[in-house]
Amino acid sequence: MRSTRHVVLDENGPELGHYSDPPLLVLASLSNGPKHGHAMIEDILGLCGTQLGPGTLYGAIARLEQQGWIEPLPAEDRRRPYRITAEGLRVLRARLATLQQFTKAGAERLEAL
Amino acid sequence: MKAGVARLLTRLYPRVWRQRYGAEFEALLEASPGGLRAAANVLWSAAHEHIQGGNMERDPGSFGAIVRHPSALIPMAMSLIALALVLGPIAIYGPPVREPDEGAIAHLWQILMAGQMPVLAFFAIKWLPRAPKSTLAVLALQAGAVLAAMAPVFYFNL
Repeated sequence: MRSTRHVVLDENGPELGHYSDPPLLVLASLSNGPKHGHAMIEDILGLCGTQLGPGTLYGAIARLEQQGWIEPLPAEDRRRPYRITAEGLRVLRARLATLQQFTKAGAERLEAL
Repeated sequence: MKAGVARLLTRLYPRVWRQRYGAEFEALLEASPGGLRAAANVLWSAAHEHIQGGNMERDPGSFGAIVRHPSALIPMAMSLIALALVLGPIAIYGPPVREPDEGAIAHLWQILMAGQMPVLAFFAIKWLPRAPKSTLAVLALQAGAVLAAMAPVFYFNL
């Protein structure tokens, strides 16, 4: 997966930006059911407070589709929903496990301070 | 975002990308609140798609794919450099007077023009059988560049 660092500033100030990996966020958003672009943006905003721009979202969608980790469903009007594939779910689990390990190790180091 | 702005922003993306995602992306832009930040995000992403080759499977026989090969680009670059070598001094010092000693620029021009011939031949031999139409279009471009490089030489009788 392409690693992308994307910092979104929020009302708490510039020092508390959200770390964002758009492809991972899209996979996470689709893990509880198919969604179209606008629904993904809203869902990701609720999930972690990151507001993906439309260009960033479709850049991630194009790459994920090319890798076979998501797939398009028939278009509804002009909006096209996407769903995560079995391979996409496997990748998402692996990435989340790595992040969990990283979070745990980081928290332990903080506690040791 | 207004439909016209959404359409305009979508048109910034590569054609192949638009054919696949254009309609749904335009619908998303129309549904989004818009603003400068969204427009900047789309501009940046469109530029990225162009640099990345659209991230889509490009037809290897298309004009866009053929013209990107080094053997297509190098002769055109050599012709353009040769043209610049002639036009540069003319622009600075005015039309030159023909002298018995051709000088370094003339020799460089000759090397550039002659040196691209093997590359042109390689390009034609390699790509004409595979993608005749696109290759002929690229060869026409290369021929145009050669003629452009030769035009001032003949015009000023150098």
